[in-house]
Amino acid sequence: MKRTITRLAGVASVLLMTTQLASAEGNLSLYNWGDYINPELIDAFSKEYSVDVTLDTYSTNEEMLARIQAGASGYDLVWPSVHMHDIMQKLDLLQPAHPNEMKGWENIDKGAMRSHEDPNGDYCLPYAWGAVGILYNKEQIPELTSWKEFFEYGKEHPGKITMLDDLRETLGVGLIMNGASVNSRDPAEVEKAEAYILEQKPNIAAFRYDVIPLVTSGDIAAGHYYVGGVLNVLQNPDLLGFVIPEEGATMYQEDVCLLKTAPNPDNAKLFMEFLMRPENAAKNSERLTNGVVNTAAVDLLPEELKSNPSINPSPEVRAKLQIFEDLGKDLRIYTRAWDRIKAN
Amino acid sequence: MAFGKTADSRRRQGLVLLLSPVTLLLGVFFLIPLGIMIVYSFLEPGLYGGVEWNWYPYNYGRIIGWPLNDYETFEPIYLSIFLGSVKIALLTVLVSLLICYPAAFWVSRMSEPRKSFVLFLITLPFFANLLVRIYAWLLLLRPSGFINMALESLGLIAQPLDMLFSSFAVIVGMVYIFTPFMFLPIYANVEKLDFSLVRASQDLGAPPVQTFLRVILPLTVPGIAGGSIIVFIPALGNFIVPAFLGGSKVQMTGNLIERSFLQSRDWPFGAALSLLIMGSVVIIVMFQVIRSTRQNRGAA
Repeated sequence: MKRTITRLAGVASVLLMTTQLASAEGNLSLYNWGDYINPELIDAFSKEYSVDVTLDTYSTNEEMLARIQAGASGYDLVWPSVHMHDIMQKLDLLQPAHPNEMKGWENIDKGAMRSHEDPNGDYCLPYAWGAVGILYNKEQIPELTSWKEFFEYGKEHPGKITMLDDLRETLGVGLIMNGASVNSRDPAEVEKAEAYILEQKPNIAAFRYDVIPLVTSGDIAAGHYYVGGVLNVLQNPDLLGFVIPEEGATMYQEDVCLLKTAPNPDNAKLFMEFLMRPENAAKNSERLTNGVVNTAAVDLLPEELKSNPSINPSPEVRAKLQIFEDLGKDLRIYTRAWDRIKAN
Repeated sequence: MAFGKTADSRRRQGLVLLLSPVTLLLGVFFLIPLGIMIVYSFLEPGLYGGVEWNWYPYNYGRIIGWPLNDYETFEPIYLSIFLGSVKIALLTVLVSLLICYPAAFWVSRMSEPRKSFVLFLITLPFFANLLVRIYAWLLLLRPSGFINMALESLGLIAQPLDMLFSSFAVIVGMVYIFTPFMFLPIYANVEKLDFSLVRASQDLGAPPVQTFLRVILPLTVPGIAGGSIIVFIPALGNFIVPAFLGGSKVQMTGNLIERSFLQSRDWPFGAALSLLIMGSVVIIVMFQVIRSTRQNRGAA
C-alpha cells in the first residue's frame, strides 16, 4: 500500500512538471561565445516574454561550426564572426530572420553590414565589433603605442609578453608588420609574417587567450588581446592600459544568426528585436566594452565608453583596422606556417 | 542426454545475455567511432570541416613530412612534434616512477589504518576538477606565484625563476596528474611482495644493491610495467597540460589534433594523427602482453 502511494506521488510530480513546462511561453536556446552577452539582458528577455532561455558557449568559430555540422540541434541563435557568417550561409546552415524588417533596424550602423553574402541584412543582425590590440600593465610599461614597442619590450624582457593562440590573429600581426593584408593569399607574404613571429618567439612567454589575470598580477607585462579587456582597464585604470597599435590591427565583428534547424524561430526573432532596442544595446556594450553597431545606443553609453579611443576609435584609426575574410582552401598556407611556428 | 543439452544451451543463453551489454557498449561507443576515424583519415578534408568522399592517402603522408601540394615543401614538422610528445611522455613516466617506487615501499610498510588513510590521500585529487587543479599549478609556478615568493623570501633566489610556460612546467603538471596512476599498480605489486625472499637473499650474503637488482626489482617489474603503460598512454595524447602550463609553446600531438579540428578545419588530418597515437599505444600494449605471456609460460 505504502509503495503504491509513493509510486502515485512520483507519477503526480512528473505530471506536475510537464504542466509547468507547458504553461511557459516557450524556449529559446542561444549558442554564443563565452562572456559575450550581458546576462541581465537574458533575464530581462526571459521575464518580459516568459520564455525559458538557455545559453551554451563556445570559444572558436570553428568549434561552433563543427558542432552545428555534426548535427548539434536544438540551438536557435548563434554568434558567428562575419567570415563565419558567410561560410554558414554558403553551407545553407542559416535561415533568413529578416532583421531588416524589424523595429529598430533603422538604428543599425550600415557600416556594420560587413557580410559579403548578406549585404542587406536579410539573414543576420550585426551584433558588436572590436579591435584586437594590446593589454598592458602600466607599472611595467607606462605607455605603449605600437607593435614595435611591444616587441622591443619583449626583446629586453623575454617571457613578459604573450600573443593569442590563434593562427590568423597572430600571423595577422606578422602580416601587418610587413605591410601586407591580413587576408593575403600570397605564400611569400605569409612566409615573411611567419619569419617575423618566429623571430619574436623566444621572447614570447605564451600563446594564450586567458591573459587578463597574468597582466593584472604583473607576471606578464603586455598581452595581445581583444578590446573586451577594456572592461578591466576601466575597473583598474591606474594599473592597466589597452591600445590599438598605430601600425594597425585586426578587428572582428559578430552577427547574430538564426539557424536553419532552430526549434523556436519566433522567439529567436523576438530576441533579435529585443537586442536592437537602444537601451539594451547600450547595456550590452557596457558589459562587453565592444564597439557598438547601434547608432542610437551610442548616446546612451557612459562617457568613459563613448570617449574611449579603443572602443570608439577615430576614423583614422578605424581605417587601419582589418577584418578577416574567409580564405577557403588558402587557409592551408596559414595552417602550415602556424604549425611551423609551433614546432620550432 | 536431452537434459544436458538444455542445460548447456541455457548456460550459453545466459552468457549471451550477460555479455551483450558489454559488447553493445564497446561496439557502439568504441568500434564504430574507431571505424569512422579510420575511414575519415583516408578522405579528403572538406573546405569547411567535414570530409569529401575521395580517396586521399596524403594525410598520413603529411605526418611523415611529404609535401601535400603547392602549399608545402618536404619538412617533417609533424614527426618532430610527435617525437617531442614521446619524449615528454617518457620523461613523465620516468619522473613519476622515481617518485612512486620508493613511496610504494614506504606506504606498504605502514600500519593498516595509516595505509588506508594515505591511499585515500592519493586518490583525493580526483575529487577536484582537472582544469581547476592545472590552473592551481599556473598560480604556483608563475613569476609572482607561491613557489617563487617562498624561494625569494628565503633568500635562495634574487630574481623570480621562469618556470611557467616551459617544458619543465609541462612535465611537472603531467607528473602531478598521472602520479596516482603510477602509484597504484606499483603499490599493489609491492604490497604482495614476499619479504622473506629479501631476507633470504640477505642471509645468503647478498649486498643490498644485489638484493635490489636481483630480487626486489624482478619481482616488481609487473607493477612498474603496468604503471608505466597506464601513465604513458594518456600522457602521450594529453593536450590540456601543454596548452595551460606550456603556454601553447610546448607542442604535443594532442594540441595538433585539437587544432586540426577546431582551428584549421582539417578533420581527416586530425583523424590520421589520432590513429598515429593509437597505433603507438597498441604497439606498446602488445609488447606488454607478449612479455607477460612469456613470463606466465616461464612460471608454468
